[in-house]
Amino acid sequence: MKLNDSIKSSLRGMRQGKVRTALTMLGIIIGVSSVTLIMSLGASANQYIVDQVQSIGSNIISINPGAPTSGAPAAALGIVIKTLKDQDVQALRREPSLAVVAPAVTGQSRIVFENVDKGISWFAAGSEIFDVLNLSLERGSFFTDADVQAYNHVIILGGKIATTLFGQRDPVGKSVRLQDQSFRVVGVLTSSGLSALATDNAAIIPLTVGQKQLLGIDYYTLIRAKAAQAYDVDFAVSRITTILRQDHHITDPNKDDFMVESAQDALKVLGSVTSALTIFLSGIAAISLVVGGIGIMNIMLVSVTERTREIGLRKALGATERDILSQFLVESVILTSIGGFIGICIGASFTALAAFAVNHFAGISWGFQFPLSAVLLALGVSVTTGLVFGVYPARQAALKNPIDALRYE
Amino acid sequence: METIIELLKLSKDYRDGDIVTTALSGISFNIMRGEFVAVMGPSGSGKSTLLHILDFLDRPTGGTYLFRGKSTSALTDIQLAHLRNKEMGFVFQAFNLLGRSSVYDNVELPLLYADVPVFRRPELVHKAIHDVGLEEKTYVPTSNLSGGQKQRVAIARALVNDPSIIFADEPTGNLDSISGGQVMEALQELNEHGRTIILVTHETYTARYAGRLIALHDGKVVKDESIADRHKGNGLIK
Repeated sequence: MKLNDSIKSSLRGMRQGKVRTALTMLGIIIGVSSVTLIMSLGASANQYIVDQVQSIGSNIISINPGAPTSGAPAAALGIVIKTLKDQDVQALRREPSLAVVAPAVTGQSRIVFENVDKGISWFAAGSEIFDVLNLSLERGSFFTDADVQAYNHVIILGGKIATTLFGQRDPVGKSVRLQDQSFRVVGVLTSSGLSALATDNAAIIPLTVGQKQLLGIDYYTLIRAKAAQAYDVDFAVSRITTILRQDHHITDPNKDDFMVESAQDALKVLGSVTSALTIFLSGIAAISLVVGGIGIMNIMLVSVTERTREIGLRKALGATERDILSQFLVESVILTSIGGFIGICIGASFTALAAFAVNHFAGISWGFQFPLSAVLLALGVSVTTGLVFGVYPARQAALKNPIDALRYE
Repeated sequence: METIIELLKLSKDYRDGDIVTTALSGISFNIMRGEFVAVMGPSGSGKSTLLHILDFLDRPTGGTYLFRGKSTSALTDIQLAHLRNKEMGFVFQAFNLLGRSSVYDNVELPLLYADVPVFRRPELVHKAIHDVGLEEKTYVPTSNLSGGQKQRVAIARALVNDPSIIFADEPTGNLDSISGGQVMEALQELNEHGRTIILVTHETYTARYAGRLIALHDGKVVKDESIADRHKGNGLIK
C-alpha cells in the first residue's frame, strides 16, 4: 500500500468519525498549545529583558567590592567591604578602554516631606552616573559637577517615590529631609520599569554629600563604568581586572577582593534564568502531551478492535503485516500532526493575546515572540507522539490472524 | 487445460498441547482453469479449513499444495499475500464491506495492495462496478445498499484485480432466495467467461450452479463428481 493511499484512507476514516477524531486530538491540541504558549512567553520575556538591559546600555560594567561568589553578594548580606578606594577610581579613569567611570555609595534612610515618611534606598554619585545609567528626567534637571564639588544638598527622586511623597504636585524646588538633613529636589526621573539600580523607588544625591557627610566613609560601595566605543566590553572587563589586581597587590586570581561583571554577563545570567524557567514550565506542559499520547493509544486500540474484520478483509485481499502496520501508524501520526498544527495556531493566538493584554493593560512594552524553534519542537513532538503511541496499536492490528479477524463478530 | 490447483495427500492438524485434532486428512484433487467447483459438507467436515489453505490464509501441516504448478510450501507470508492479491478474488457470506465507504472505495480496495498505477485504478474500478450493474450506486455508501447489492459489490471487488480464481464462501448465506439466485447466476456467468470458481456451501440448491461437487466428511473427500443437471441462469454479469 502506497503512503498516499494510507493517508487518503486515514483522512477518510477521520472524516467518517469526526467527533471521535476531535476528541482524540484534544489531548495533543492542549499539550502543543501549552508548550508553544510557554515557550513563546519565555522568548518574549527574554526579549523584554534584553531590550531593557540594552536600553541601559550593554557596554556598562559593574564593579562591586568583595570576592566573586556563586551565592548572594557580600553587600546583600550586610557585610561591609572597603576594598574599592579612590585610587582605584583614579587608576580606572586613566584606562583608555573605559569612557566613563562612576563611583558611588549607597545607603538606606527615611525620606520625609511634610507628614509623609518613607524608607528608601539612595545612591550618592557624581554627575557622570546619569550618562552611565542612561537615566532621563520627567521634570527638573540633573545635578552638576559643581553641586558635587560644593557638597550641595540637592536630590533627584525616582518616579515612584516622587509620587508617594508629592502626589500630583511638582516636587522640583521643594525640600525633603533625608537622614535628618534638608535636600532640595532638582529633578524627577522617568519611570524606567527595570533598571540596574532600581531607580524608581530610590533617590540620587551628590557623591560627596552621601560619602562624606551622610556615611562618613572613604571607600565606595560600587563603581559603574562604561566601555569606550572603540573597545570590546570583554577587553575592558579584563583591563579593569588587571588594574584592580595591581592596585590591590593580588597575584592569585582566586583571591580577588572585587567582582567585575558586564551588562552582557548579567544578560546571560538573566537569559539562563528565563530559559531554565521556560524549559521547566514547558516540561510540565509536556506532561499533557504524554497524556494526549496515551489517549491516542487508547482510542487507536479501540479502533483496532472495532476494525478487526476490516483488518482481516484487507489481509485476505493482499495486505501484508507491514501494510496494516503502516496504515495504522500513518493514521496515528496524521491525528497528532493535525492536532499539533491546531495546537500551534492556538498557542500563537494566545501569545498574541497575552502580548496585547500586557501592552495595553500593564503598560509594558512586551513584544510578540513566536520562535520557530517552538513550532518545530511542537511539530516534532506531535509526530513523535503519534509514532510512539501508535506503534503498539498498529502492531496489534498487523499481527491479527486474518482467519480469526474475518470471523470476528 | 491448465491445472490451477493440485493437492496431494494434503492434511491439516491442530495441536493444543498433547491433543491433536485432525481437520483434513489425505486430501488429493486437481482443479483445472475454468472449473466451477462446489465444496460441500456438514459443519466440522473441514470445508472452511480447506478453503483457507486454498486461499493461502492458512498453511497445511502435511502433503503438497501446488498452485499453477508451483509448490506453495516454501513461499513466505509476503509472497503468499501478493499471490492472493493478484490471483484470487473473494466473496464472503457476510459481504465484508467497509460500511461507511462508497461502492467505489470498496471495489478499489484490492488495487491498493497491487502494483497497479494510480491513474489506471479508476478505469478498472468503474469496469468492475459496471460488470455487476451498480454504476448508479458508485458513490453510495455500501451501508445504504440491499443485501443482494452488497454481494454484487463484493463480486465487483473480487473481479477488479482480474484474478484467475474466485473463492465464494457461502455467498448466499445472508440473502433471500431471489438475491441469492442472482448472485449465483452472476458467479455462473463469470465461470462461463472462463473464471475458475470455488464455492463453499452447505446448500444443495446453490451447489447445483457448479459443474463439479467435492463433498467432505470428517476432513476427508467422500465424493468428487461432475454435476449433470447444472442450473442454467438468465444472466446478470454484463
